[in-house]
Amino acid sequence: MMASALNRKLLREVKSLKGQIATIALVLAGGITSFIAMRGTYASLDRARDAYYDRYRLAQVFATLERAPEPLVHRIEALPGVALVETRVSEQVTLPMEGMARPAYARLLSLPSSGSSALNALCVRTGRLPEGGRDDEVAVLESFAGAHGLRPDDHLPAVINGKLRKLHIVGVVLSPEFVYALRPGAMFDDPQRYAVLWMNRSTLSSAFRLEGAFNDVSLKLQPGASEPTVLSALDRLLLPYGGDGAIPRRNQISDHLLTGELGQLGALSGMVPLVFLAVAAFLMNLVLNRLISLQRAEIATLKAVGYTNREIAGHYLGLVSLVLIPGGLLGIAGGVALGKSLVGMYGAIFRFPNLSFDLSASLIATALLVSLASASCGAWFAVGSAVKLPPAEAMRPPAPARYRQSVLERLGLGALVGPNGLMVWREVQRRPLRTLLSSLGIAGAVALLILGRFGLDSLDSYLERTLRREQRQDLAVSFARPVSPRVVGELARLPGVLTAEGQRTVPVRVRHEHRMRDSVLIGMSRTTSLRQLVERGGSRVPIPPDGVLVTTTLARILGVNAGDRLELEIREGERPTVRPVVVGFVDESMGLSVYAPTELLADLEGDLGAVSAALLAVVPSASPAIQERLRRSPQVIDVSELSSDIQRLRDMNGSFMDVWTLVSITLASSVILGVVYNNARIALSARGRDLASLRVLGFSRSEISRVLIGGLAIEVLFAIPIGLWLGKKWSEQFMLQVDQETFRWAVVIAPRTYALASAVSLLAAGAAALWVRRSLDRLDLIAVLKTRE
Amino acid sequence: MGFAIGARVNAPNPQPDKRRAVLSCSGLHKIYRMGEVDVCALGGVDFTLYDGELLILLGASGSGKSTLLNILGGLDVPSAGTVQFGSEELTCADEDELTSYRRRHVGFVFQFYNLIPSLTARENVALVTDIALDPLEPEDALGLVGLGDRLDHFPAQLSGGEQQRVAIARAVAKRPSVLLCDEPTGALDFRTGIMVLDVIERINRELGTASAIITHNAPIAEMADRVITLADGHVQSERHVGRRARASELSW
Repeated sequence: MMASALNRKLLREVKSLKGQIATIALVLAGGITSFIAMRGTYASLDRARDAYYDRYRLAQVFATLERAPEPLVHRIEALPGVALVETRVSEQVTLPMEGMARPAYARLLSLPSSGSSALNALCVRTGRLPEGGRDDEVAVLESFAGAHGLRPDDHLPAVINGKLRKLHIVGVVLSPEFVYALRPGAMFDDPQRYAVLWMNRSTLSSAFRLEGAFNDVSLKLQPGASEPTVLSALDRLLLPYGGDGAIPRRNQISDHLLTGELGQLGALSGMVPLVFLAVAAFLMNLVLNRLISLQRAEIATLKAVGYTNREIAGHYLGLVSLVLIPGGLLGIAGGVALGKSLVGMYGAIFRFPNLSFDLSASLIATALLVSLASASCGAWFAVGSAVKLPPAEAMRPPAPARYRQSVLERLGLGALVGPNGLMVWREVQRRPLRTLLSSLGIAGAVALLILGRFGLDSLDSYLERTLRREQRQDLAVSFARPVSPRVVGELARLPGVLTAEGQRTVPVRVRHEHRMRDSVLIGMSRTTSLRQLVERGGSRVPIPPDGVLVTTTLARILGVNAGDRLELEIREGERPTVRPVVVGFVDESMGLSVYAPTELLADLEGDLGAVSAALLAVVPSASPAIQERLRRSPQVIDVSELSSDIQRLRDMNGSFMDVWTLVSITLASSVILGVVYNNARIALSARGRDLASLRVLGFSRSEISRVLIGGLAIEVLFAIPIGLWLGKKWSEQFMLQVDQETFRWAVVIAPRTYALASAVSLLAAGAAALWVRRSLDRLDLIAVLKTRE
Repeated sequence: MGFAIGARVNAPNPQPDKRRAVLSCSGLHKIYRMGEVDVCALGGVDFTLYDGELLILLGASGSGKSTLLNILGGLDVPSAGTVQFGSEELTCADEDELTSYRRRHVGFVFQFYNLIPSLTARENVALVTDIALDPLEPEDALGLVGLGDRLDHFPAQLSGGEQQRVAIARAVAKRPSVLLCDEPTGALDFRTGIMVLDVIERINRELGTASAIITHNAPIAEMADRVITLADGHVQSERHVGRRARASELSW
């Protein structure tokens, strides 16, 4: 318990330390803000996901197939470990939306003819679900409805099995299966161009000639069931019916991306607050150390009059609570505000029925406890030394600081920098630990700035360099069904087309020894000029006459070396299996593709080299006309323009990154300000006498400022390169959290990001130095010289 | 061992003197290690402070008198020898026990006052009364030293003499068994010094607190009951003063 006079002493001291307390509180607030915002967002998303999956019964296993008779359900139900089975009819359709140059695509899913879905239920946002017997009624996924302003009673054009139909929207819905609605094969979500629609089973069955049959099945497992066993049993059962291979929920695209995003957020929420809390602990230690060294005599007096070590320690630790209270309040407020906006940003991409920022008492308590622990830890080391001091010794002034000549000085540094420079240098080297820790604190802030920006740089570099190098086409044309290679020749003759090349993509299951992955086999002409495959190091890999090229990541997953044979099971048509030789590796940023010459695929499929897509290089001015013409062709399902895709991806990421940049600048500046300001205050307090003496000797204000600020400048200049390096390392560390099988962007940090991080740290440090310089200008020479120390 | 609540001193007096001993020490040695050399601050000091007595420890700078006072006050421990407070042996006390000893029984007055600059006069005294068992009111303690009208002044708003009187008020507010004053006039001019000594003398007389004053200023010795002169860490002489002079009669 603290005595009240002692409490009053504490409060009075706070007044003279208000700048320092404010800056430490700010750093602590940064830690609490980032902790609450990130952990809170993480927890909110995690909870929302679990509740959503649970309430709307998201299946645990998914499989698609060509066609199986409905009675097969009983055999699936009889598989050991299966609790519930739901079959559906699922088809891809195009939606020729009015006013859109390119059609939208939709996945059309059936709803049970009677009753509600046992699995993958829908959450109705407005309207209702289609009723039995109404052929044209459709429910639309909210993201698409929102992007087009569609509401119940609106109409939606859809090309179903070649026929244009006008569907009647009766409801706008959300589905746990499509929290993130990504079109298969797309790089990013595009709510304008990808929809999921639900209609009556009977309507779809008759439209796609699947009466009494299904082509999509979802399972719920019994508690404790072995997922791999169920998956392989289901695969065996569905194989004769054209099963594509069952996948567990974690490989389902929406859940996979959501979980990946949560993993990254979880990693960030561990890394970022750590920087702040470590810096806050260091600053607390710095300030208290100085305060205690100034108050040696007071501590001795307190001891002399009978205060116990615990009471004295409690008194100084009380300062921690004065930092923690404003820091905590500000941090909680900032955390809630940032958390809400983060949840809002995530909510725009990941659609949940009820997503709000949950601020739990335990989260606040954890944030405060961790902050208290970090600040107390910093304070403890300072206070520990104070209470250990025997009172009689504390009564005497501390021994004068010891300075030594360093090696650099003996080598003639003094001649270079003059006595002022030497003062700066000796001060720095006398406290190497403090200099190092200060620099590390600033470096941590610089690294945070890099961490906040590297995603944008890496994406830019990927889009501008990697993607542009690998893909040299202007337009990519996808066909609804594989077409004859003659079509490519016809495309090449269109006015404005410079080059046209065909490409064939088929789904494959790749095996090597006991390892297996699902992938795509891409057949390309050996003379291709529009698609460029490169190996690590950037040199071009030609398509081999025999054998296949494998993406480096896939090769690593499968443990394949050049010369090994791979087992490729083609997952369409006759489902042949081949065992080509791996002749080389391709370094790609996305996917796990296998490349082969077109001839190999033509042999496998027995279709004389049909193509599923064409790549075109076109005269820029002719591009719009060519696109218009291609879109009118019934064979074409999509024409995409690489440059507009890149632009879109950029815009989307850009706005997201701007928010992050602003947040990281604010947070990093508070750290730098805290470190530099506190160091400067302490340097001023410790060396006020020296500086006043210099003024008495005739030095100008700016000259003594240089002595004071010189040491800080050394710390900042030392910190910046470390921070830039640390930022790169953290970014790489962070990138490891990203699913390597989907994206493998090299961590690239643009010079402008390095420049930004350096500029922000110099500005923040400069502001702090100026703030302290004002006190230097007010230095009372006589009073300082009279002070006893 | 413990300095329990209200453990007033009732030890049998080992000295032939009939008065009750408050503090006594024998064979006190204190050796400081300064770098490579040992400095002997006290080389075997024996003496006793009696109840109600005003004792002056006289000595030049470096004679070991501050070291002796620090040891008597439980601020420092001797290298050899014993210190007795009543029947309790201070030399065996651990840090907590020394703290408790200082808290209950010792009032300190320092040469440089050692007031907390961020606290007012009243609050500086409250610092002690907050943790003492049966203290005076801070206002009464300050009244005793003639500062009843300066209660809410900060140290920086007080003169040196006033600051020292606040320090004395702080020391006596806990009703200590012993009052230990280390060069209480060392930082003061003559007139103020006399005023401060007058306060100490009055406290000694009115409250009967055993008081030891360390000084290098020989004329002050005239106000004592007994004067012990220290030189080079040894007791050089001991003298009983026949008639205690009033502080106001002193001059230097």
